[in-house]
Amino acid sequence: MTGGPPELTDALREILAQVTGRPELRGLGGEVPLFGPGVGLDSLTGTLLLREVHRRFGVDVAAEDLNLDALASLATLAGFISARQLT
Amino acid sequence: MMVKCVIWDLDNTLLSGVYLESPQQPPGADPAMLTVAAQLRDRGIIHAVATRNPSEAAHHAAQVTGLEFAATECGWGRKSDAVRRIVEDLGLAADAVAFVDDDLYERAEVSFAVPEALVLSPEDMADAVGWPEFSPAVVTAEARRRGEMYAERRRRQEEARVFGGSRDAFLVYCGTQVVIGPATAADVPRLHELSVRTHQFNTTGEAVSEAEVMAWIASAEHQVTAVRLADRFGDDGLVGGCAVAFGGLSPGGSGGVVPPRQAPGEDGTATVTLLMMSCRAMGRGVIEALLAWLARSARQAGATTLVVPCLISPRNVPLRLALAASGFRAAEGSSPGEASVLFFRPLSGPLPDLPSWVADTVAAG
Repeated sequence: MTGGPPELTDALREILAQVTGRPELRGLGGEVPLFGPGVGLDSLTGTLLLREVHRRFGVDVAAEDLNLDALASLATLAGFISARQLT
Repeated sequence: MMVKCVIWDLDNTLLSGVYLESPQQPPGADPAMLTVAAQLRDRGIIHAVATRNPSEAAHHAAQVTGLEFAATECGWGRKSDAVRRIVEDLGLAADAVAFVDDDLYERAEVSFAVPEALVLSPEDMADAVGWPEFSPAVVTAEARRRGEMYAERRRRQEEARVFGGSRDAFLVYCGTQVVIGPATAADVPRLHELSVRTHQFNTTGEAVSEAEVMAWIASAEHQVTAVRLADRFGDDGLVGGCAVAFGGLSPGGSGGVVPPRQAPGEDGTATVTLLMMSCRAMGRGVIEALLAWLARSARQAGATTLVVPCLISPRNVPLRLALAASGFRAAEGSSPGEASVLFFRPLSGPLPDLPSWVADTVAAG
């Protein structure tokens, strides 16, 4: 999956920093895994992130992506969203 | 639909007068509404406030009624927006709340904008204690403490906002204690209640009767586990449970040996037939800890794969997030359009560690 436009990745990084309450994530690389140690996306912060993505970009990730692979990194999430916004 | 939360207007509804009209001596609780509210609290229904008054009015109302409000919305916005914010904040569905207001206009506005909510006048509310929507079949110890637990949750969230470190550091700071152990007969009513009330963390979406839970606990093919949660803000009691079947084995056939409770199936799988968790435990590491514990205990029992059959619904996306974060993958060829999908986790290779604040009484006992 290719990454989306940089400004989309930036917007997602800002949402992630807000829903996790961790401003230091504003410096997060686009390829860093969101699950697992480091970012530690969990059921609560993941739900908030997906809700905000749905609201802002009109893409319901969970309805299409059974394994939530789109949440692997900010780059994969941006790629997932931009692919659906074009169609 | 059962009402889980009543959202109260204050002036001439929960209070017997208008708060701002007598600042020196604000009005007391409306006796009829207070009687109803206290009865509903004892049935495990929580209370919240939506008022146009300043926030001092909500503090005053809490004092004169003795009620713990799970959420308060004060200010000049639309009441329907206040109702929606409370629904979201408490993680409820809009059809699980009732809104009570003496003002006909406010009731019409909320009815129109939040059609799922049950909208009532104070006169209606006086009768409502007898209605099925306000009469849960079982009232557990956890249910009776529900209002207090939401107030504890609010205090915990306020501290989390000013706490600088990571979530894990905050959980340690809170003195979080999760106890995972075998379910007993005493846990049956609460496990049944969780099967009815949980949606965001529920793999089947089906109510399980007390008799069924009891039968699972008694059977050799199931391992039924209860999860308890407490920290220094309060004791949430039994917040989750799961049942594991070690598939492929038939129950002690003719002259056969009754299989030990924790033996894996012939195909090496352990299947989580039900997994459920209260949304109050959300964001507190409990679902992730339980999934890690399940993987470790299944491997210890000799299983090579852990399987979680999971309902696919917009409501239990938080559960799918926890599964994804814990290394589960949907069966090859599954699609999000299916009603239920099998999620697999191989038990070879490294498994996640249990956090230090999890006590495993199964292994200990």
